[in-house]
Order: sequence, then structure tokens, then C-alpha cells
Amino acid sequence: MRNFLRQFSRDRVGVVFGLILIAIYIVAITAQWIVPSDPYKTQLSQGMRPPSWEHWFGTDQFGRDMLSRVILATQVTAKITTSALLFAVLLGVPIGMIVGYHGGWLDEIIMRITDIMLIFPIIMLAIVIVVIAGPSERGVVIALGMSQLPQFIRIARGVTLSVKQELYVEAAIAAGAGWPFILRRHIWPNISTPVIVQATLTLPVFVLNASALSYLGLGVQPPTPEWGQMLNEAKELLIAAPYLIIGPSVALFLFVISANLLGDSLQETLNPKTKGQRMKREFQKFSRRGLKPGKMRVERAARAEIQR
Amino acid sequence: MLRLIVSRLIFMVLAAFLLLSFLFALFHLIPGDPAQLMAGDNAPEHLVQSIRAAYGFDQPLTTQYFNYMGKVLQGDFGLSNYSRQPVLDIVFPRIVNTAALAGCAMLLAMTTSLILGSFSAMFWNRPLDKGVTVVSLIGICTPVFVTGIIGIYVFAVWLRWLPIGGMSTWKHFVLPVATLGAYQAAIFTRMVRSCMVDALSRDFITTARAKGAPERTVVFHHALRNALLPIITLFGLGLGHTLGGSVVTETIFNWPGLGRLMVDAILSRDLPVLQGSIFFFAIIFILVNLIVDILYTWADPRISYD
Repeated sequence: MRNFLRQFSRDRVGVVFGLILIAIYIVAITAQWIVPSDPYKTQLSQGMRPPSWEHWFGTDQFGRDMLSRVILATQVTAKITTSALLFAVLLGVPIGMIVGYHGGWLDEIIMRITDIMLIFPIIMLAIVIVVIAGPSERGVVIALGMSQLPQFIRIARGVTLSVKQELYVEAAIAAGAGWPFILRRHIWPNISTPVIVQATLTLPVFVLNASALSYLGLGVQPPTPEWGQMLNEAKELLIAAPYLIIGPSVALFLFVISANLLGDSLQETLNPKTKGQRMKREFQKFSRRGLKPGKMRVERAARAEIQR
Repeated sequence: MLRLIVSRLIFMVLAAFLLLSFLFALFHLIPGDPAQLMAGDNAPEHLVQSIRAAYGFDQPLTTQYFNYMGKVLQGDFGLSNYSRQPVLDIVFPRIVNTAALAGCAMLLAMTTSLILGSFSAMFWNRPLDKGVTVVSLIGICTPVFVTGIIGIYVFAVWLRWLPIGGMSTWKHFVLPVATLGAYQAAIFTRMVRSCMVDALSRDFITTARAKGAPERTVVFHHALRNALLPIITLFGLGLGHTLGGSVVTETIFNWPGLGRLMVDAILSRDLPVLQGSIFFFAIIFILVNLIVDILYTWADPRISYD
């Protein structure tokens, strides 16, 4: 751990944006207490005021303070994306470990389902799932979590498959250990690092897609503020009050860029093997959507070709 | 090659079958009584009853399932709840519009990224490269709807050069294509750059230079060709991304495409149109995937699918 921190602290970009991300989370957790005014309180006489010392991002058509709404939206977004991440990890990793360890027809079925899911872009999956789950905060969590489930199943399964061959696992089996014990004691420690990296890289994807869903009107419903949904409202008032887009855009951008850069640095620190192999890393990032056995083989071939 | 296509086709048929079953289930998964949904919230009870009978919602699920499959296989997705037009007649022109938007955006993204990525790799670790890297990072982190709204504000509201939305003249194409294309270009540029950096660091490049080949030939003939395989993978995957991104772009710019149709159908609870648009979107994705798979083997004959 100390070793990790020392290595990580050398990566200045990672540290700076990691701190920004922490700051965003602190804002999210303390949102109720730090908002300058009530984000739900409408005051029609104060409607559509441009940014001023009193209202940094101006006020919307109902006279609600945009800064307060952006701050509360930070909490909403952080809550949704973190829950979706937990959903995907807590469901995907055990499934991946179990099917990877036992194999057989269940493994076959689950892999085929993930193959089919990986054909579709995350936003399409999320839209379809949100239709079933209902357009609400809970619906977005389920939709995002489900749409990235295949990634986590695949990662956990892949590591399990390779670790299963190790001698110490064989020894544990010989010593009479049951499979739940082996998964927990011998396989899980190997999975945690790739899962953490994948989770940090998935966070910005979730933030972008959660706000895209809300922008489309399929996510968080008014009056609860959400960046995408605020931008959708601001678009209608673009001629009269263009400043309304500032707050949500800046917040969204900051969240996404800091999560992205932190994910990049974490990956570089935790997987020293990939250090310097930008190609491979970017491939992994890009192909989080759309990896399937055939392509995996092609990509491995492409990578091997490049590393030769 | 033939074996690949056949196995992919089998996979496609399987996926389409699962898809249809899913669409049928959608009738019953969506909260609420489907007949009531189709009739509208304030519909009189006898109307709901007659719809229930007409669509067979009162029959056992298995009968409904086979009826639905039979109808869809004949190309009958039913009528829209609102315009009462056949779903196919609504969906087809929309597919063309979406293809036009996504196609132009892909073209823009591919050319921009190939040029920027190659130059960035040529001037590796120099100001130009760093500039391109930072710009593409910013592009990746800015969602389509933020770029789109800023674009509308600058070019449509402020400068009044371009229309806000819709689709009739070439001017209507500029903002949506630029918005969607720029986002993809940002993703592509990063990847093209790293592929090119890798290709340029190899021995045959040194050989080519030692032979006295001009830098242009070295970069665009020797390096780019060898970087092409991962780039093709990338563009193939990117086409799917672009189609996904078109849903949001179409909504921003009021573009009469398939994505907007789907979102409108969800918001107005128009089940037949929703099923039709999901079905065709899915078929497009499956086809794109098939084409990418075939392109791999074409681009690098060493790759075989066993």
C-alpha cells in the first residue's frame, strides 16, 4: 500500500485530478449543508438573473439559484453513478468468478448473453433497460449497472480461469477446501486490482450516460436537479438566458475529466506491465464496449504484433 | 472466410430471435396494462376491452407469443398508437436520416483523426503533439449535448449562420455532423496517435529512412499501413458508438432520425413504434458487427476465426 502511494504520488496529473475528484465527492456528500440557498425554492420575481456575486451561475426561469442546483445535482449524480458501479461490481464479479470456476453449460449461456449485450452501445442498452425499470433515479442505476455488467463478468471470469490453473489452487483443492473458500481466499485477491481499475474507468462512462439519459428525459425527473436534465431545460431558454448552461456543463466536464485521468493513472500505477504501452491501455479503454472473443483474439494478435 | 460468414450469420439469427422474444416481453415488462397504454389514460373501458381483444392481450401468453412472432416475421409491427400509420412506413425514412447523420459524422471523424493522429505521432512529444493530446482529451470529456448546445448558441443564436435544428438544406447538416463527429474524432485521434507512435518506432521505419525514402512516404506508406489493422478495429467499434451517440444528437438538433423516434416513442408510450425502432437499431448493430468481423480477415489474412 505504501509502495503504491509512493508510486502514485509521482504521477502529478493523477494526484491533481484525484484530489479534484475527492473534492467533488466531498461537495456531493455535504451538498445539503453547503448550498447557498434552497435549490427547490421558486421565486418568480428573481427569475432568469444573469450571473452575479449573489448567484454565481445565475437563476433559472423559476428564480432558483443555479449554483445550489448544480451542487445538489453533484450529489444526485455521485449517488447514481456510485450505486450503479456497486451494482455492476457486486453482481458481475461473483457471477464471473462462479461461472469461470465451474465452467459448463451455465458458463456457456452467460458468455453468449454477454456477447450479445456487448454488440450494443451502452447508451442503447441503458435506454431499453430504463424503459422497463422506469424513468427514475433507481431506473438509471439499474440501467447503467446492467449495461456494464458484461464487462465485470468478463474480467472476473478471465482472471478466475487463469488463476484456477495455479498450483496453490490445486493444493487448496487437495487439502479439501470448498469452492467458496477458494474463490474468496485465492481467486478474489487476484481480481481486486483489475476490478478497481475497471471501476475507475467505468465511472466517467456512467457519469456521461447518466446525464445523457436525463437529458433525453428518461433519467432523473424534475424537480430533482441533474446536470443533463438542467442542460435540457437550459437549451429551451438559450436565447434569453445562455448563462444557464455554464454551471452544469462545467461541473459535468470536471467530474468526467478527473475520473478519466485518475483512472488512467491508477491503471498505470497498478498495472506496471502496461506502463509505456499506451496502445494497449487505450485499446483496453476503448474496447470496454464491444469486446468479444473473436475481437479479443484479433486485438491480442494486433498487440502481439506491435510488441514484437 | 465462408465459414466465418456462416457462423456469424447463425449468431445473427440467434440474436435476432432473442431480440424478438425480448420485444414481445417488452409488452408485459413495461409497467401497466398494455391495452390501457395503447388506448390512453382516459380511454373508456369498452375501448380498452376492444383493443385487448383486437391485439389478443386476453389470450394465453404462448398464443400471444406465436402470434407476435408470426406477424413480425411477415414485416407487420402493427400501427402507431398516434398517427395510425404502419410502423414500417414510419421507421424506414428515419433509418435513412440516421444513416446520413452517422455516415457524415463517421467520415468527418475518420479523416480528422487520421490526419491529426498521424501528425501528432510524427511530432511525438513536441508542442503540436501535446496540443492535439490535450484537445482530444477535452473532446472525450465533453458530452455531445454540451458541445451541441454551445454550437447552437454560437452559430445559430449569436452569429445566426446556421439553423437551430431540423433537416432540409445542407446547412442543417453542419452542426449535428460536427457535434457528433467531433466527439468521435476525439476518441479516434488518441487511438490513431498511439497506433502510429507504435508503428513509427519499429525497425522497418528506420530501414525505410536509411534507404532515403522521403518522410511523407515513410509515414503514410510504411507506418500508416502497418497501423491500419488496429485502426480498422477502432473504426468498426466506433461506428456502433456513433450510432449510439446519434440518439442524443438527434434529440438536440430535432433531427428526424431513428434515435429521436425511439425516444419520442418512449416518452409518448407508443409501444409498436418503440418495438419497431429498437428492432431496427439492433439489426443495424448486429450487421455492423458482422461487417467489422469480415473486415478484420480482409485487412489481415493471418487472422482466422476458428
